[in-house]
Amino acid sequence: MSCAHVREQLGGYVLGALEPAERDAVAAHLAECRTCAAEHERLAGLPALLAHADGLEIPAAPAGVEERVLDRIARERGSGRRRRLPRAAWIPGWARGRSLAAGALAGAVLGAGVTAVVLGGDDDDPAAQQSYSLVLSGAGGASARAELASGRGGTQVHMWVKGLPPDGDTVYEVRCERRGWSASAGTFRTDSRGRAYVVLTTAARLGEYERIRVVRRSDTTNVLTGRLN
Amino acid sequence: MLVERLRGDETGDAMRALYRSYGGELYGFTLNALGDAGAAEEIVQEVSLRAWRHSGRYDPRRAAVRTWLYQIARNAIIDSRRRAAVRPGLPQHEPAIEAEGGATLEQAMLGWQVAAALERLTPEHRQMIRMAQFRGLTMREIAEHTGLPLGTVKSRTWYALRSLRLVLEEMGVTPS
Repeated sequence: MSCAHVREQLGGYVLGALEPAERDAVAAHLAECRTCAAEHERLAGLPALLAHADGLEIPAAPAGVEERVLDRIARERGSGRRRRLPRAAWIPGWARGRSLAAGALAGAVLGAGVTAVVLGGDDDDPAAQQSYSLVLSGAGGASARAELASGRGGTQVHMWVKGLPPDGDTVYEVRCERRGWSASAGTFRTDSRGRAYVVLTTAARLGEYERIRVVRRSDTTNVLTGRLN
Repeated sequence: MLVERLRGDETGDAMRALYRSYGGELYGFTLNALGDAGAAEEIVQEVSLRAWRHSGRYDPRRAAVRTWLYQIARNAIIDSRRRAAVRPGLPQHEPAIEAEGGATLEQAMLGWQVAAALERLTPEHRQMIRMAQFRGLTMREIAEHTGLPLGTVKSRTWYALRSLRLVLEEMGVTPS
């Protein structure tokens, strides 16, 4: 048996998955060939390690914890206010920029009175991505259109909001929820006309929540609601 | 360097990155150890906060980030068990059981790190290791099951083990 042939069998040999005749032939070769024996030595301890991982499946990280940690950190920093939020991106023109491409954000004008959490993700695995659109509605003609794009790290939420009170000071929070469970996706403010374009990222994944809600941060009053069907 | 970035982390980006990299496996480890989802979430939250508070003490020469986080989680689990033990009305932990639990925790930490290493392999490599090691199939049976040529199954298994060994070395986990 040649060294190349033995190398090909070594994986099965180490895992005890060869037929008896193959196993004996590999064992005989290893007894005589120091190079192959050294390669075997490198792999021989793996089954014992693997045995510890038998039956272990890594679960998704619980979605709400991430926000709670960030809030606690913000409090412990001593300022007592919520963590500092990066300035938002504003795409001029209502309903423009339907694209979920990051480029739309990168090319956007900063400022314009809108604040949002803009966080990069590593969700560029096309296989892990899904997208979803929904409409949120509220009292007084307030409405929003949301586009959700899921990745392995959670959901990126793009939301176009209009018809909110045009004060520009109120902080709104976007929440991904199901019965008895709620995860914050971040906060935003509107412009002086009650509009906002927000890009937020939450660790909650599509399928983990049933509705998106926008609440007023100060008193958690419901402002907009949309259900995922 | 993720842990160093935690210190000046104004936006929360570094904490989010840390949480998304390790939150799932730490949650799995803790949930397995405590058997209670709510308590496990509390521990994962506590581990994240301790990592942030003590990021200045982290020494990359002494341990990989993952090992460091697992050590924090292990200590938090032991603290949680102690608190449960002194709480009236709850079952008392015998000291002997706690010592035994510590050893089991070490093994569980190892198991979750190996599970994390497996996640870093390609799906094809992971499949070979799972079928041979966890389901006890022979190379021939795997070839029949998957429809792959026997030679492919064998070479893929060898490459899979080599990859696993490299990933474990990077993580600072080595066979004893």
